[in-house]
Amino acid sequence: MKSDEPSLARLMAMAQQGDRLAYRTLLLECGNWLRRYFGRRVPPGHLEDLVQETLLALHHKLATYDPDRAFLPWLSAIARYRWVDHLRRIYRAEETELDEDMIGANDEPAIAARISLERLFKQLPSAQVRAIELVKIEGLSVAEASRACGQSESLIKVNIHRGLKKLTAMIEKA
Amino acid sequence: MSRDTNSLIAELAGGLQPVRPLRFSIGLGFALAGLAATLSVVALLFGIRPDVLVGNFDPVFLLATGLFLLLGLAATATVIVMSRPHVGSDHSGWRWAAAMTALLPIAAIITGIERGPAAMSVAEAGHGLDCLMAGSALGLLVAAVLVWWLRRGAPTSPERAGLLTGIAAGSFGIFAFSFHCQYNDIVHIGLWHGLAVVVSAALGRLIVPHVIRW
Repeated sequence: MKSDEPSLARLMAMAQQGDRLAYRTLLLECGNWLRRYFGRRVPPGHLEDLVQETLLALHHKLATYDPDRAFLPWLSAIARYRWVDHLRRIYRAEETELDEDMIGANDEPAIAARISLERLFKQLPSAQVRAIELVKIEGLSVAEASRACGQSESLIKVNIHRGLKKLTAMIEKA
Repeated sequence: MSRDTNSLIAELAGGLQPVRPLRFSIGLGFALAGLAATLSVVALLFGIRPDVLVGNFDPVFLLATGLFLLLGLAATATVIVMSRPHVGSDHSGWRWAAAMTALLPIAAIITGIERGPAAMSVAEAGHGLDCLMAGSALGLLVAAVLVWWLRRGAPTSPERAGLLTGIAAGSFGIFAFSFHCQYNDIVHIGLWHGLAVVVSAALGRLIVPHVIRW
């Protein structure tokens, strides 16, 4: 089944009414969608954990979906929230390489651009994006990130703090 | 998290129960019921001011209570909308209501400066403190309703949701207490009634995010 917006919205409406088969199909499709969604912005070793956390959040917050509205903007709001929370929690990732197969795998239609993680990052100053990318996503230490991008260690910390704070405030921004 | 995603999905799907989607109208209904209960508490515990009972409304009273009511409604509506996450939602409409209500303390400061020290006598300050404390405390019921609603929902910005919960609670609280407070003076209303909203907003911003994170 193709994970397009109308199909997902229909499955979700059925799931809210208690249809377990529709819900299972929906969760499988959402899992695939989330792997593509997070692909560029999470170290591979953290990807499955984040997908599972987001699926659990989806499960606990099923009632917050309004069947009269689009499904993917709802799912991406939950995914962004879990992603920012994930960035807050990790200080040093175990893996430092991004899975190149994931990069560019997001082939959703045009609406995906408005709900993507990239769009959130574009709202931040480049120094904050760089600090978050190096430390929170690529897993460098603050000292290593400082050497890599030329910002002082204290500035790296400040930029991460301010960047994450801004991301939190912009989670529903399209 | 170590388990396989497919087994997690099977577990979640197996335990699925029907859910009733959160509706804006239901959330607003609960909040307005909280406001009605708060008004009843004011009437029963403190009593309604005599001029209101006979239908003789002072213009400053009408304007101020109207502004606090509108601010409370705008903040409440935003909190309820925030409980249902959606990329593309705009939660900034309440700021216009806040800007309009801010005219009250601004007018109070300008008038107070014109009047000089006499504008802030000890007796008036004492009554002002009563309004501040009563207005803030009366907002607790609406605050509890909104926190309960947010906990059922999924607010993606707990800090903003907390701030708005405080603004809604303080606005409704002081709106309700205005039906008891005998003062029609713009300095008293602008400063002390306005301060009740500010204090509630600060408390909401500090406390609520900790209980609505998910």
